[in-house]
Amino acid sequence: MKKVLEGSHAVSEAVRLAKVQVMSAYPITPQTHIVEALSEYCSDGTMNARFLLVESEHSAMAAVIGASSGGARTFTATSSQGLALMHELLHWASAARLPIIMAEVNRALAPGWNIWMDQTDSLAQRDTGWIQLYCEDGQDVFDTTLQAYRLAETINLPVMVVLDAFFLSHTFEPVDVPDQDLVDRFLPPFSPRIELKTSDPFALGQMAPPTVYMEMRHNIQMAMEQVPDIFSRVEQEFAAIFGRSYGPMERVHCDDAQVIMVVTGTAASTCRKVISDLRSQGEKVGMLKLRMFRPFPTDLIREHLGSVQKVAVVDRNFSFGASGIFAQEIRAALCNRNGHPPVFGYITGLGGRDVTPEILAEIYWKTKNSAHPENESVWVGLNE
Amino acid sequence: MTTEQNFAEKIPLFISRSNISTELNKTGSWRFVRPKYHEKTAPCSAACPAGEDIARIEMLSSQGRYSEALEIILLENPFPAICGRVCFHTCETACNRSGFDEPIAIHGIERFIGDTAVRDNLTFSLERLPDNGKKICIVGAGPSGLAAAYFLTRLGYSCDVFEAETEPGGILRWGIPRYRLPDAVVNAEVQRIKNLGVKILCNTRATQNFLDEAKDRYHAFFIGCGHGQSLKMNIPGENMALDGLDFLNRMRKEKTESLNNGTAAVIGGGNTAIDVARSLVRLGVKTILVYRRRKQDMPAFEYEVETAVKEGVKIMELFSPSSIAQDGGEYILTLQPMKRSGMETDTGRARVVPDGETTQELRVQRIFTAIGAEPSESWQLASEENAETVNLSHCAFMANNPPFLFGGDLTNPTKSVADAIASGKQSAMALDTFFKKGLNAITNRLNSCLVGNGPALSMERYLDGKRSNRNPDMVSYEDINIDYFSPAPRIKAESLSLNKQMNPFDEIETTFTIRQVMEETRRCFNCGICNACDNCRIFCPEIAVDLQDGQRRINLDYCKGCGICVVECPRNAMALEEEV
Repeated sequence: MKKVLEGSHAVSEAVRLAKVQVMSAYPITPQTHIVEALSEYCSDGTMNARFLLVESEHSAMAAVIGASSGGARTFTATSSQGLALMHELLHWASAARLPIIMAEVNRALAPGWNIWMDQTDSLAQRDTGWIQLYCEDGQDVFDTTLQAYRLAETINLPVMVVLDAFFLSHTFEPVDVPDQDLVDRFLPPFSPRIELKTSDPFALGQMAPPTVYMEMRHNIQMAMEQVPDIFSRVEQEFAAIFGRSYGPMERVHCDDAQVIMVVTGTAASTCRKVISDLRSQGEKVGMLKLRMFRPFPTDLIREHLGSVQKVAVVDRNFSFGASGIFAQEIRAALCNRNGHPPVFGYITGLGGRDVTPEILAEIYWKTKNSAHPENESVWVGLNE
Repeated sequence: MTTEQNFAEKIPLFISRSNISTELNKTGSWRFVRPKYHEKTAPCSAACPAGEDIARIEMLSSQGRYSEALEIILLENPFPAICGRVCFHTCETACNRSGFDEPIAIHGIERFIGDTAVRDNLTFSLERLPDNGKKICIVGAGPSGLAAAYFLTRLGYSCDVFEAETEPGGILRWGIPRYRLPDAVVNAEVQRIKNLGVKILCNTRATQNFLDEAKDRYHAFFIGCGHGQSLKMNIPGENMALDGLDFLNRMRKEKTESLNNGTAAVIGGGNTAIDVARSLVRLGVKTILVYRRRKQDMPAFEYEVETAVKEGVKIMELFSPSSIAQDGGEYILTLQPMKRSGMETDTGRARVVPDGETTQELRVQRIFTAIGAEPSESWQLASEENAETVNLSHCAFMANNPPFLFGGDLTNPTKSVADAIASGKQSAMALDTFFKKGLNAITNRLNSCLVGNGPALSMERYLDGKRSNRNPDMVSYEDINIDYFSPAPRIKAESLSLNKQMNPFDEIETTFTIRQVMEETRRCFNCGICNACDNCRIFCPEIAVDLQDGQRRINLDYCKGCGICVVECPRNAMALEEEV
């Protein structure tokens, strides 16, 4: 049934239908609406679940790590400072191989205080071993959340579902919310491979000496390497039931494109319009929307960007002293392929600043009109 | 088939996991400091002249264990119902809870325990050493004499107490008015001492001859007869003033006295003056208290002064009586105004001098004096010439043959019931030490029995009791983890209003109810003692606190010495020490 939902509540509805058993979170704008709805569902009996109140995000993550180790389907949500506070336990969750799902609303880090859209918070967690999926609209958020549970519980790794602050979290859109029995068909009850029980006690997470630690880390990577395959099967099953699929990335007008713009999140929606306008002017421009950031789809990037003339990456984030983070990753993916195109990095839309059609068009024209990047990163739209 | 079933087996899942116990990993080897249960001294306890283990009394009371609380009190003080009423409770002034909101109403809880013990005939067991065959003569059945008899009896002596009055109690019975301390309370707690086997011989006034004659029959003497002689003002017409102590004594004996309404002047600023003034108010007399220094310099306990003012006593401060004259049926009290000329360094009171030539006259129907008292006979003082006299904080020990001890008001710097009890206790310990180890051992032996760093003495420590090894370190407010406490108002006992009492000499303050005791004892921090809150065990990250039969023990095989237990102990009953 179609409902008009804000992006935050698209997450909440998916979590409700996923029959999550244990949740824990600490409120932070712009994430709060997600867990507000869920805590109501817990207290009014809509969900048969426990909502654990905690005093910090660090404890929220610790609580769901505990619950997940006990074999429960779990959920948490956070943003910005809250995610940064969780950092230590993000490593723990992945290395303990726990299929925890977290909604992460992209928000700028302080100081100065800024509650608006910025991707640096989630991208700063790229090495924590979490799968990261970036969403474009309300339906994408809902569907990705459901898919995340299937993916995580199959691969035994945690998944971060990432959505833009306000542009997505607080924007109302029609979202198809399916009936429970359809969701149940797609997402059966969790049958955990790790399940601490008092009746069958064992120890988890204890000392791993040099003789085994490296193998454990290699093991995580081996699991990560299977994600593309499993994710595509999950999407196939999802499509069979709900009629929608997204893939780890989406290509728009890429086949004959000379310049491909790489975008993520809600900026992709704006970019669709810009591409369409430029195409109607005869420009050979395409768009590659990246949905899966971890594991990084290196093979697909090489395949789809390796032989284009120019790549323009739009980063709403920045790694200080280096460049935009998506641009870095794409350069790294391409560098071992002979004859790869120049990668133009553009920084824009930090701290909630709008990424307008004009800005995206400017990025296209700059790329088209330059033989080589003038800098590793070009900051677009800076005030004088 | 679901995706999970297809793939589950293919997904590598190599994690730290074992089915053998982590007990193999003895994390205790990482430790360089170790926690220990380390009970300390609460400031209330150290401030109590009788050295009661107050934190423990409050804890036991909060758990409804009133018999055990009674036992803890009786270790150090035979008179909980009396002290709960009349003690000036220095414990409450010292209470750490004052730093948080308001001090615990310790006196109210003590009174409840004392009253419950009497009403419900609570049983208790007190350690008592076997009879050592020594007989002690005690002069005066006031609080110090009765306390001396109580403690000496527990140390194995047999005691005879000689009392000049018709009934035992001394100041408790004849001095403190009934509205503060009813007869029944005195009787019940004196009975407890009689039950130990102490003989109290009333109507027997001790004299020099009596003592000379008794020397052959007793191994030692304790003189605790108090001050029998009122001080003189040395002013013209003094003989027309009535003696305050006599008045109080008559009030107790005759239950009431009919005075024509009218006005009375009471001269003095001590507790006796206040008792006289409050008694007069109860008889319908307009009462003016005349004091030569300032109100805040009065030796009377502050609470008593405040209550007297509330009940209608007028206070004229900075006036010194200069003469009394008769005029018809009235008296004219001439008063010299005084002014402050500095401060006395030893007492902290104002030094006063006459202020001008102009005197004031006060026309009253009666004048009472209560400016203090002194010993009535010379044998009531330790001989200054005797080289073998040891002066202790609450008694003087004269090593004659047989030895003589002087205590109570004769020696105490503070004239209070609690100090009288301290005197009886100190005398008992000193005498016992003298008999066992000689005169020179007394000071060291007593110093080993101090509560905290003194001056109070603990009989439990003297007897090497269960809690005698508690650390003298005092718990300060900063040592309390106040995160575990919420503000709560101090419980106040219901106080009858004076004009609504059936009889004006009925007791004015009521005993706490059980509910009030529960609420009030729950406010107590229980400074420095374990009340089994279990925080140490709950917070231990290594699960290294074992609980067996109600006892907690640090399992040093696993304790890493992180110190969390010590920090999370709300009441500083633990400590960290370096590994050696």
